[in-house]
Amino acid sequence: MIDWKLVLEVIGMLIYATFMGFIFMGIERKAMARIQRRVGPPIYQPIIDTLKLLGKKESVTHGFIYDFGPIFALGASIAALLFIPIANFQLFSANADLIVVAYLLEVPMLGIMLGAMSSGNPYSAVGVQRGLLTMVAMQLPYGLALIALIQHWGTFKLSEIVALQQTQGWSVLVPALLLALIVFDIVFQAMLGLEPFDIITAPAEISMGPMVEYGGKHAALLFTQHAVQLFAETAFFAVLFLGGASNLLELLVKQIAVLFIAIFVASIYPRFTIDQAAKFFWKWPTILGIIAVLLTV
Amino acid sequence: MINELLIILLAPLIAGVIAWALDIRGLREGIGIIGAAVPLAMLAKLYSTVLSEPVEYSITVNGFTLQFQLNTMSWYFAVIASLVGLAMALGMAVTSRNSYDWLFALMSYTGVLGVFLSQDFVSFFLLWELMTFASFMMVLRRNRHESLKYFVLSVIGAYAMLIAIGMLYAKTGALDFASIRQALYMDAAMGTITTREMAVIFGLFLTAFGVKAGAFPLHVWAPGAYSETDQSYTAFFSGALSKAGAYGFLLLYILMGYKLYTAFGTFHNHLVFAYIIAWIGALTVVVASFLAVLQEDIRKLFAYSSVGQVGYILLAFGLGSTLGFAGGLFHVLSHAVFKGLFWLVTAAIILQTGKTQFKDMGGLAEKMPFTFAMGLIAVLSLSGIPPMAGFASKWLIYEAAISAHMPLVAGAIFLGSGLAFAYVVRFLYSVWFGQRPSDLEDVKEAPLPLLIAMAILAIPNLLFGVAPGLVTEYINKMLGGEVVGGDYYKLVTPTGTYNALLVTIVLMIGLAIAGLIYLYGAKVRKISVTNTYQSGNPVTEEFNLSIRKNFYMPLAEALDFWLKRSFDRFYERLAGMAEDFADSLRQAFYNGNVQSYSWYLVIVLLILALWGVL
Repeated sequence: MIDWKLVLEVIGMLIYATFMGFIFMGIERKAMARIQRRVGPPIYQPIIDTLKLLGKKESVTHGFIYDFGPIFALGASIAALLFIPIANFQLFSANADLIVVAYLLEVPMLGIMLGAMSSGNPYSAVGVQRGLLTMVAMQLPYGLALIALIQHWGTFKLSEIVALQQTQGWSVLVPALLLALIVFDIVFQAMLGLEPFDIITAPAEISMGPMVEYGGKHAALLFTQHAVQLFAETAFFAVLFLGGASNLLELLVKQIAVLFIAIFVASIYPRFTIDQAAKFFWKWPTILGIIAVLLTV
Repeated sequence: MINELLIILLAPLIAGVIAWALDIRGLREGIGIIGAAVPLAMLAKLYSTVLSEPVEYSITVNGFTLQFQLNTMSWYFAVIASLVGLAMALGMAVTSRNSYDWLFALMSYTGVLGVFLSQDFVSFFLLWELMTFASFMMVLRRNRHESLKYFVLSVIGAYAMLIAIGMLYAKTGALDFASIRQALYMDAAMGTITTREMAVIFGLFLTAFGVKAGAFPLHVWAPGAYSETDQSYTAFFSGALSKAGAYGFLLLYILMGYKLYTAFGTFHNHLVFAYIIAWIGALTVVVASFLAVLQEDIRKLFAYSSVGQVGYILLAFGLGSTLGFAGGLFHVLSHAVFKGLFWLVTAAIILQTGKTQFKDMGGLAEKMPFTFAMGLIAVLSLSGIPPMAGFASKWLIYEAAISAHMPLVAGAIFLGSGLAFAYVVRFLYSVWFGQRPSDLEDVKEAPLPLLIAMAILAIPNLLFGVAPGLVTEYINKMLGGEVVGGDYYKLVTPTGTYNALLVTIVLMIGLAIAGLIYLYGAKVRKISVTNTYQSGNPVTEEFNLSIRKNFYMPLAEALDFWLKRSFDRFYERLAGMAEDFADSLRQAFYNGNVQSYSWYLVIVLLILALWGVL
């Protein structure tokens, strides 16, 4: 017995999320351009970029894992997306809770790293190293923010967290969770790979890091992955702290609000070096996170 | 009829002795593997019997009654040990070249099984010592210094345990677990054993079990001992033998949990003694994982990682909730299978290349594809990628830690899992990918017995990952209640759910969609590793493109302050001081001067005179 409604919802959500993810990437570029008094590309530019990459006549490969890396990354991003309750679409969210989703949102990173490493390029290796160290550094404040949230609401289920926020007010309005939100937002910057924590790709420093060897359809896969991931992560943020949403439009407003904060921060801060980032993450966000966690015990 | 328990216990030991005595190549391997397989077969046969009632056996030797019992919990631990033991024997068939290894490897196997099956402190301590001695002999053959470090720490642990057993015997008059448990339970109400005495007993047991489990700060033997032995044996050493320590912590709860609770009370609604265990676990996770990230030797990396993962188990047991026990017990299984697999992969790499340092390796994925696939399964399981056994057990520990309201301890798990990602990637990158050094051109795939051994351990990683309910169902029976609900594929706790099968299916769907996009794209052309972007410059084979040394240098710099402090150096210095002290004592008293010996006599006489004896 196949639940056709669910199948349709899943297909629709995948198309919508991918499309909106690309639009978010476009908004990012457009907003950055405006901040620097440029006109910038049209908002649908990332879609054109991806289609162009897919249309390349030939791709090169360094072996099976090199191909598998981007595929695994996109696959895991799609999986993560489908376990998040998005607006009034619950999809599979009853079957996996916050910890599973938080893990699934990190798996794509491992996929990208796996592919990048197998290329054997030294720039990729430096990018992988920086990526993993950023992840190690941000993991502690990230974990503390999630723990504060779970302790306050007393459940791991994302749909229940949304439901509780709809009756008792958004997470942001709780003082302890406001601290958690600040911590999460700092970590969020690193999750999206934006300045001051865009240490992984670091254009102009290590020529795109892990992605340096990727071209053609591999790069198209990574662009698509980034779009899906962007959508999933902003939705995750809205679900955790901004009370979810009852329809896609409301969710979109919240996602774009979250995105704009990230863009504004990113456009005025220069990049951290990796050891600065580690020291930073283990100082202020961790202290705030510990306070938040102790307030919610 | 000979009791089944006796067969389970003695089969490995007897096989080991025969293998050692015969010492005919081919025959000793066969006997060893059969000896290692017998306990697993017997345990499988006894599965349904154990669920209805425990199998018992007791024997009286020199006035001591040794009692063995196969109950639901000891069956679980024993079956894990024998699974890893069988894989070890298959691996040793190719990595070991002498009968000495077979004797002691199988002897420690018997010791571990005995520790799990014992129901009284006499047999527990005897087999604990047998296990320690045999594993010490395995290390001694390769490296004297490391083996002695392991031995001295183990001896400290074992005699701490002996003193604790002595104290318990003096207080309760019993040596078997059932009576001690009863006596301490009664005593919790009467309070004849004071809090201070209880604290001493608890501290001594913590030392004893902490040494075996590799708990911080008693973990210093592990990196040396795990690396300086046959790597197939290490699969058992770190996969099963370290679980004896974890089992000891469980035993503390079973024997004296209630008494410890009444003696120490609670702290913010946590049991004080459990809180201590949880923090030891959390510190172990963080410290060992950080150290694992910074290692330059494949064996050292996994040794520290093993210490860190056992830290998760202690942490879970320390939470003191039934969900915590379920998570910890599940992690016992998943750690045994993925870390056993890791060590077998390491054994294969070392056997085929003869190298252990990351700087000498690279690009082996093409030469050893099957071993690489097995290594990848272990990597995915250890770092907790969803449809793997490692994720299911970690997920339970996360749920338990946060539900138990121990936020900082739970924070340590988050940090530990980030670090786990970092060190497995180090392993993947340095060993399997990138440029291959020219002296590794004629490396071949690992031999068949080793590959079978790896497959034996890889299957549970996948099976219990997709169907974690198989394990939790048994754990529910062990803990006597519906701790983790759900069915074969789905875990349900009071606050969360994880449907492993659905996650697998959705991940597969995602991979299928991504694969379709990949297939839709243009054809691919394979190019060599050196045909790569190097700031637009040409690259030839002579360039070393892979970063093989100090991969995580920025982390080492960021942690500079902490890395200056080392328990290893502290213990070495302590040992040095003790040695110097012994030297100076010898030189001062045994100085070869006849007159000073007569002075000693005078002094002793003087003391006796002052005492009024003379």
